[in-house]
Amino acid sequence: MKFKEDQPSDETLDLVCRMCPLHLMEPGDRLKCMKKGQVLEVLTDYDGALEDIPEWCRKHGQEFIGLEEDDDCYKLYIKKTK
Amino acid sequence: MYTDKVMDHFSNPRNAGVIENADGIGEVGNPVCGDMMAFYIKVKDDKLDDVKFQTFGCVAAIAVSSIVSEMAKGKSLKEAKLITKKTVTESLDGLPKEKMHCSNLGAEALAKAIKDYETKISE
Amino acid sequence: MNLIYMDHASATPVREQVIKAMVPYFDLQFGNPSAVYDMGFNIKQVIEEQRAHVARLIGAKANEIIFASSGAEANNLAIKGVALAGQKKGKHIIISAIEHHSVLNSARFLERMDFEVTFLPVDEHGLVDPERLAKVIRPETILVSVMHANNEIGTIQAISELSSICREKGVIFHTDAVASVGNIPVDVNVLGVDLLSLSGISLGAPKGTGALYFKKNIRLMPLIHGGIQEMGRRGGTENVPGIVGLGKASELAANEISAKKDQLQKLRELLVSGIQEKIKKVTLTGHPDKRLPGHASFCIEAIEGEALIYMLNQDGIYSNTGSACASKALKTSPVLVAIGVPPDLAQGSVVFTMNNNSVQEVRYVLEKLASAVEKLRSLSPIWREKTA
Repeated sequence: MKFKEDQPSDETLDLVCRMCPLHLMEPGDRLKCMKKGQVLEVLTDYDGALEDIPEWCRKHGQEFIGLEEDDDCYKLYIKKTK
Repeated sequence: MYTDKVMDHFSNPRNAGVIENADGIGEVGNPVCGDMMAFYIKVKDDKLDDVKFQTFGCVAAIAVSSIVSEMAKGKSLKEAKLITKKTVTESLDGLPKEKMHCSNLGAEALAKAIKDYETKISE
Repeated sequence: MNLIYMDHASATPVREQVIKAMVPYFDLQFGNPSAVYDMGFNIKQVIEEQRAHVARLIGAKANEIIFASSGAEANNLAIKGVALAGQKKGKHIIISAIEHHSVLNSARFLERMDFEVTFLPVDEHGLVDPERLAKVIRPETILVSVMHANNEIGTIQAISELSSICREKGVIFHTDAVASVGNIPVDVNVLGVDLLSLSGISLGAPKGTGALYFKKNIRLMPLIHGGIQEMGRRGGTENVPGIVGLGKASELAANEISAKKDQLQKLRELLVSGIQEKIKKVTLTGHPDKRLPGHASFCIEAIEGEALIYMLNQDGIYSNTGSACASKALKTSPVLVAIGVPPDLAQGSVVFTMNNNSVQEVRYVLEKLASAVEKLRSLSPIWREKTA
């Protein structure tokens, strides 16, 4: 697990209170609208996402930068690489 | 929601009105609760020679008053005292459950009017 | 006997074009929108088109609309959904004293879960005082809900003033617009709200339909957990015919609403002035001007509302007393109590909500209402006291 503090991001996707499998559907959609090299911050309170999102990034050729634990959610960072 | 009998008494109330110089008056309920009834009686030879009522209230309250006046009129005081919530409800072929407590005050108002009369003559 | 329907706050007839639009989605296009084959995919597209129609009616974007089963569900989702999602930030919510039961009882439910609820009083016309709202907001306040128009007294609230106070203080603002959407132009941007509930029953759409508008950044805990329908915010296979009905009705309403307002206002003025002329001791409840165009509500002294409704019913007139959804409850209307109507006067409440009514109908109602009131007053012991 890669932890990152104060990671800057270009866009935020708030998935708090949203159930599985939304955390695997919405980041892909959002990344499509972003530019190469930009960073997407994903907020989620679902701990399954901690495994799923890095795995999803590997499968889809995006870079998983790391995560930070916040008061009420996790923040996961994905860099658009393609 | 209401039986035909209830609707009949509501639409054509029997004995509605006031008896001037009534021998007994009975009032129950109050407008804040939504139901209030006043019964007026005229007594002759221990019988209810005339019965009239006034009612502020819902369909059930008006129908109850009407049928109580009809049931009581011409009866002896003793017989009239046997009119209860239960016999009133039966005569109307039933009342909705939520109307049983607040609106079924007719028998009580009549009893109060009879008591008023009895108190007056014993004085 | 012709039927005169003046209870449009309770339900509106489903329009012919709306029924026509719905029909194919019962049999020909019956598939599950989540299915990946053509029929499923096509229906999914149709749902998204309806979302856009509903959004357009209230000036929103399509992805800000969640379909629900009623205005009550939309209100539940707004109140509970925001509160449960935001409880780490604070557990205080504020609602007005004249909210619909679906907002009121959602708040009461949250009270049992250790939330604190402040009930904002209203003035004699049913208006919330913005200064008062500003005073009761605390650091732990997470949600304020004030209804746009009240179904019982017709008063339209100054929502944009209230919402701007909340925006300044970073508090989420919801409005229940079930009574207003379909009757007056409603724009979420003008109102400045974060969430807004609407219902098909006010729009000529079928019962069992409604929607919640929510701004994209609002966190909502779903009430119905399930699949990915409604972006994961409301599980369960979509009510496709209902959604099509709501969408079509919204599309029609968006084009008609401004013209309808003037016509309804004329009918209302005729009814209000006629009643005040023909019947003694009658009070118009709610605001005299800031009210729904087709909404006229009164308290009539010395009679009881239910008896009056039944009597009008015998003349072929459908109207309502007290809250449209609570007329069987025996308690005095909390809305009328909140605007300071004395409890005995509150018993004589009658509400007329007009839509496609005519001047002739209004005249007929005036005539029959006057004689029904006269008849009930002739039976009433308190009327005698008043006139003696």
